[in-house]
This record gives sequence, C-alpha cells and structure tokens, in this order.
Amino acid sequence: MCLGIPMQIKEINYFKASCEAKGVEREVSLFMLQHEEIKVGDFVMVHVGYAIQKMTEEEAQSAWEVYDELLAMEN
Amino acid sequence: MSLTAEQWLAHLKALNFTKKFKIMNVCGGHERSITHAGLRGILPPNIELIPGPGCPVCICPEEDIYTAIQWATHENITLVAFGDMLHVPVNVPKNQARSLEQAKAAGADIRPIASPLEAVKIAQSQPLKKTIFFAAGFETTIAPVAAMLVEGVPKNLQVLLSGRLTYPAVQMLLETGQAAFDALIAPGHVAAVMGAEEWTFVAEKHHLPIAVAGFSAESLLAGFYSVARQFQTQHIALDNCYPQVVHKNGNPTAKNQLNQAFKITDANWRGIGMILKSGFSINDDFKEQNARLHFPNYDDQARKRAGEMPTGCDCAKVVLGQLYPNQCKLFGTTCTPRQPIGPCMVSDEGACRIWWSAGLRK
Ligand code: SF4
Repeated sequence: MCLGIPMQIKEINYFKASCEAKGVEREVSLFMLQHEEIKVGDFVMVHVGYAIQKMTEEEAQSAWEVYDELLAMEN
Repeated sequence: MSLTAEQWLAHLKALNFTKKFKIMNVCGGHERSITHAGLRGILPPNIELIPGPGCPVCICPEEDIYTAIQWATHENITLVAFGDMLHVPVNVPKNQARSLEQAKAAGADIRPIASPLEAVKIAQSQPLKKTIFFAAGFETTIAPVAAMLVEGVPKNLQVLLSGRLTYPAVQMLLETGQAAFDALIAPGHVAAVMGAEEWTFVAEKHHLPIAVAGFSAESLLAGFYSVARQFQTQHIALDNCYPQVVHKNGNPTAKNQLNQAFKITDANWRGIGMILKSGFSINDDFKEQNARLHFPNYDDQARKRAGEMPTGCDCAKVVLGQLYPNQCKLFGTTCTPRQPIGPCMVSDEGACRIWWSAGLRK
C-alpha cells in the first residue's frame, strides 16, 4: 500500500483526473493536491487512487523502473 | 547530478566501517525494494538491514478484523476492505470463519477494493444497503480515507477505521529501551504526506542517525550512506534523500483533511499492545459515517486477549525489528504464503512474506 505509483495526468475534471501509467488509465482524485497548480501532462505519485504529491518526470521514470523490477521478481 | 547506486555503494564502502551497524527501515515498500534488489548481499558485511514496523496489516488489531467478520456475517451490509486484509487469520473456534475470505466463501457480501473511490462507487450503486469500508492502514492510506470523507460520501457508506501512525511505534521503541537498531531509514511516502519534520526526534532527542529515502536502489543506498556517515562523524541530523517527493512539512492539504476528519488517539497494535497517540478515530463532525457508533461492539477484553499473535508466531518481534523473519521457527515450515500462520506472511508488506517471495529461506 505504501508503494505509490507515479502517473501522468491526461485529463482534469474538477478534482477527478484521468491518469496514465504504462498504457493503463485510471481515475485519480486530485482532492489532496488542492494547494498545487496541476495541469495536464504533470506527473503525480498516486496512492490508493489519490494523488499525494506532484513529482518530476525524471522521478516518475525511476519509480516506474523500481516497480517493474519488483513485479518481475515477485511473479 | 545525482549519483548512481554503484557510486553510493562505493562511498559507503570507503567509510571502512569496522563496527556492526544495524539500520532499520519502517516501510514495507522499502523492505520489498531492499530484498528484491538484493541490497543486503552487496553491503559491507558489518552493515545489517532489519525490517521494522512497516506493515499496517500485520499490526491491525485482531478485534477489528473479528468485528468486520461479525458485521459482514450478521448484518445486512456490504463490507469492503483493501485486498490484503481479507486473508489475515484470527483466533476463533473451528466452526467460525477465520478470515474475511472465509466469511465471504460462506456467503457474506465482502469485496476487496484498491481505493476509497471504489468504496464510494459501491455505496452509490446500492443506495438501500449499507456499505462499510474497513479501512486499515498507515498515513499514506488513511489520508486518502480522510479526503474521501471531507469531500463527502453517500449516506449509506460508513467507515470502520483502523488507522495507525508510523512514528509513534519507533518513538515507543526508543523510549522504552527496546530499540534494536543503530540508525533509521524513514518511510518515503509517509513523509511525503506528513512531512520529513515528523522524524527529527530520532536525531535530536535520541541522537540516532536518520534519513528519509525513496524506493530506488540509488535512493536507499544514499540513505544508508547518509546514516553511516552521520554515525561515523557524529554529525547527526535528519537527512532527506528523497527531496523530489518529500518536503519538510509534507502535503498541507492532506494534513488539513486528516485533522478535519480524524483525531489522534492511543491505539492497540496486534501483539504489541497500546501505543500512545498512534491511532486515528473519526471526529464527531463525521459521526454519521463512524460504523463503530452504529453497529454492535465486539471489541471487549476477552477478544483483546484472544487477539494476540498465534502461538509460536514471532510476528510482533519481526514488526518491531527485534527478529529477522527467518529467525521464527515456523518460517517456511508450517508458515508459508499459501498457509499463513501470522499476518506477516499474509500482506505484501509483511516482512515474512517479502522474504519468502524473494526466495529467502532458513
Ligand atoms: S513466519 Fe509466520 S509464524 Fe513466523 S513470524 Fe512470520 S508470520 Fe509469524
């Protein structure tokens, strides 16, 4: 649960965003990021469907790599 | 430019550590990264990494799981919970459901979810039936539950809250002289929500090295180097090795929503006991959504006693960083992910399960 997934924002509709990670789209709540200016194309760290922090593209890439490695080894 | 994992490792080796030095992590995500990347095997031999309190499922009080099973079995409700919770065994006579999964197999309406957003959708789809969200977790999970409540939920959705804070467990270990570690790696995403500041007490009050780290090998090795260097130079101060995501004060909106929805209370940790100011309970403003106020109470003293860890299971010691998973006699013999005895073998964040799934044996 604590291993968040970085996702890229594709569409924003008030506090709901459509986000993408590696070709998979999910609905993500932006309700916890009201203090940030968020726009389409930004990267966010997502936990249980909620964006908890903005992040850079570089950081998102490195987190995806970690995630891929973990999943590959656990399967 | 940040350094690579190899460069951090070279720095760490160059410190020429001669003393035994034990670094504890407090996050199941960290433990997964460390174990699967094989970081233990590449560190200088006297640097040890021990998993600590990083698994909310492992310490979720048995009486809460028992309560969820009873409500799902005896009340006309839908119970939703994060997937891991469904498999945790509780101590009951043989003819009763031992886990939410068994209660579900016996006909109770129990559904695994991955997000509070799904709980809301399920409640909306069946307005005449009550949906109870059994929400167990640490700050990274409980803050979204607070956000869900503050944003507004359907009337028929209620929450059985079993949330815990991470740092009070570490504080308890340090204050009661039970700490079996020389340095700490603080949890990256808990700190992203609550702020790195929350962890300064480790350095300032207890004079132990501490660094916040992310989940990549680079970030973790940067953290190990940082705490080892702090120890060697005795310049001890909280270091942030995950500054891209973790800020000093965390996420202000999330903290505000947590304060609106919940208050901090003393709370029971399975197999460990009460830890001061380590849990969340629902504020009066949201009492309509507090399932504990509307359904029968199963949380009595007899249940609390029955709810210790199963006989022979060392999960409580594993959670507190006092034993390695493979030091438990049942590890891999009678206890495996297929037939877990204790909660540490159930959850993806449980140290026993992580070690087993990475192929670590006796
Ligand atoms: S191996 Fe099983 S029985 Fe032993 S501590 Fe871990 S969960 Fe408990």
